[in-house]
Amino acid sequence: MALLEVHDLAFRFPRAEKLVLDGVSFSVERGERVAILSPNAGGKTTLARWLAGLLPDGVLKAERGHVSMDGKDWTEWHIAERSSAIQYVGQVPSQQMTGCAFTVFEEIAFGPCNLALPEAEVRARVDEAMTVCNLRHLVDRDPFTLSGGEQQRLSIAAALAMKPQVLILDEPTSNLDPESRDDLLAQLELLPGELTIVVLEVALRPSLALADRFLLLDEGRIAVDGPAIDVLTHPRCIETLGMTAITEAGRRIQNAGGWAEGRPLPLTLADALQTLQVPDAVR
Amino acid sequence: MASGSKQEAGKQSLLFTPGESLLHKANPLTSLVIMLWMISAAAVLPTAGTAILVLAAITVSMATGVGKRSVKRLLITMTPIGVALIVVHGLLIERPDQTDLGLVAISPDGLDYALKVFMRVAAMLMATLLFVTTTHPSEMLKALDQRGVPPGVGYLVASPLLLIEPFSDRAKAIRDAQRVRGLDLTGSWKARIIALPILLMPLITLALSDLDQRASILSGRAFRAFPRRTVINAPHDSTFQVWFRRILVAVAVLQLGIPLLWHF
Repeated sequence: MALLEVHDLAFRFPRAEKLVLDGVSFSVERGERVAILSPNAGGKTTLARWLAGLLPDGVLKAERGHVSMDGKDWTEWHIAERSSAIQYVGQVPSQQMTGCAFTVFEEIAFGPCNLALPEAEVRARVDEAMTVCNLRHLVDRDPFTLSGGEQQRLSIAAALAMKPQVLILDEPTSNLDPESRDDLLAQLELLPGELTIVVLEVALRPSLALADRFLLLDEGRIAVDGPAIDVLTHPRCIETLGMTAITEAGRRIQNAGGWAEGRPLPLTLADALQTLQVPDAVR
Repeated sequence: MASGSKQEAGKQSLLFTPGESLLHKANPLTSLVIMLWMISAAAVLPTAGTAILVLAAITVSMATGVGKRSVKRLLITMTPIGVALIVVHGLLIERPDQTDLGLVAISPDGLDYALKVFMRVAAMLMATLLFVTTTHPSEMLKALDQRGVPPGVGYLVASPLLLIEPFSDRAKAIRDAQRVRGLDLTGSWKARIIALPILLMPLITLALSDLDQRASILSGRAFRAFPRRTVINAPHDSTFQVWFRRILVAVAVLQLGIPLLWHF
């Protein structure tokens, strides 16, 4: 059984004519690293919220379909179970802060404390999360005084302290300056190997850094599902993401036998960007 | 550098001043009960009594090392209130004992009443200042969690203190963005009042959007999943402090209750 499954999910916002998600189906296996690429306003955040179990809520419901984890629909999960199973990190760093913590330590400990875990267990989780996200030197700082990159690292640490099986990253670098983005990407590459990650992105670079399987969300449907080269060389990739240069470069590499079809991306992030000559504008 | 200056700015939203005094070391609930007792006393004591209460609170604040900050806040807040009370009750409201001094008519009864209200507000404010300058909100939250107070109550205490700084930063950013697009905020008061909705609308819209996001984050972090939370580094409490609080609460109830019963 797949860890996370999306079954024919169709969703529209109240009073909207067009469906944001129109029969989306895919599954994510344990330990997989999946990137879902889509243009701006392509439904990434909505899908991310469905994946993370934040939807449906009291107001917003699916027209059809549902999302399940371990075979159980999200609506059947208790809040404590769900938050221990999956975590969501959104786009705007300051909006990821709980507003309940006066220090970085308290922000990370907030979730485990809500689970009423023993104090020693909370401390161990905070300690581990701070190490993974390189936050030890900021432990006593007020979360709202951190830079955007630091805040995003903090929200990832807070998510990791919940010991989730799945981490949903919704454009985690989109609000960061280039330097903070590079730091965060380097940090993301160090995340525990057993963690299942789904990253929703418009930019290629964070996806290349994290994922080995790529989905193209095009007009509310999954248009492509496969290794990076499948997405990069798909004709709709150009129209939806405007990645002409990347697609052409991808085709050239494929034609030259650089990438065998069906293989996961065999390059490091730096190599991939250099080889593909990714223009700064689309990174 | 940037985050360093932001850190300094962040500290301004809290009035807490670190220290080693008895009030600093007391359990936050004890400090809270002392504050509530002082407020209840200020509500029933005569003017001389509230004046003594204000002086006592100032003396304690000096001894605990938070005097300068507290007295400064007291003066900044009470000066306009004092002036307004004198003008309204001493000069503007007509009373039988008014003495005509040519340009103005002064009422000694009105001034007495103004002084009574002034001292009452000053005592209540000083009690509050003594509490917020010696008790860190984080410790207060821990004490509430330790007592099994629902997590939502703690959130109501913490979130305004924590979110005021980013909210204020956003207001400044919106103001600057509107100014570079031609909004005139340097003209007359009328022009500024007209500009107010243009500044407020995006601020309110963004605040509502933040609210939605924050609700998701809190839900994702299992907020209110269980009635009690784990407390890390719980504040020290003792049997003496527990009994002290109980007695002080009883005194406060009697202080307020007896005059009420007498009145009816």
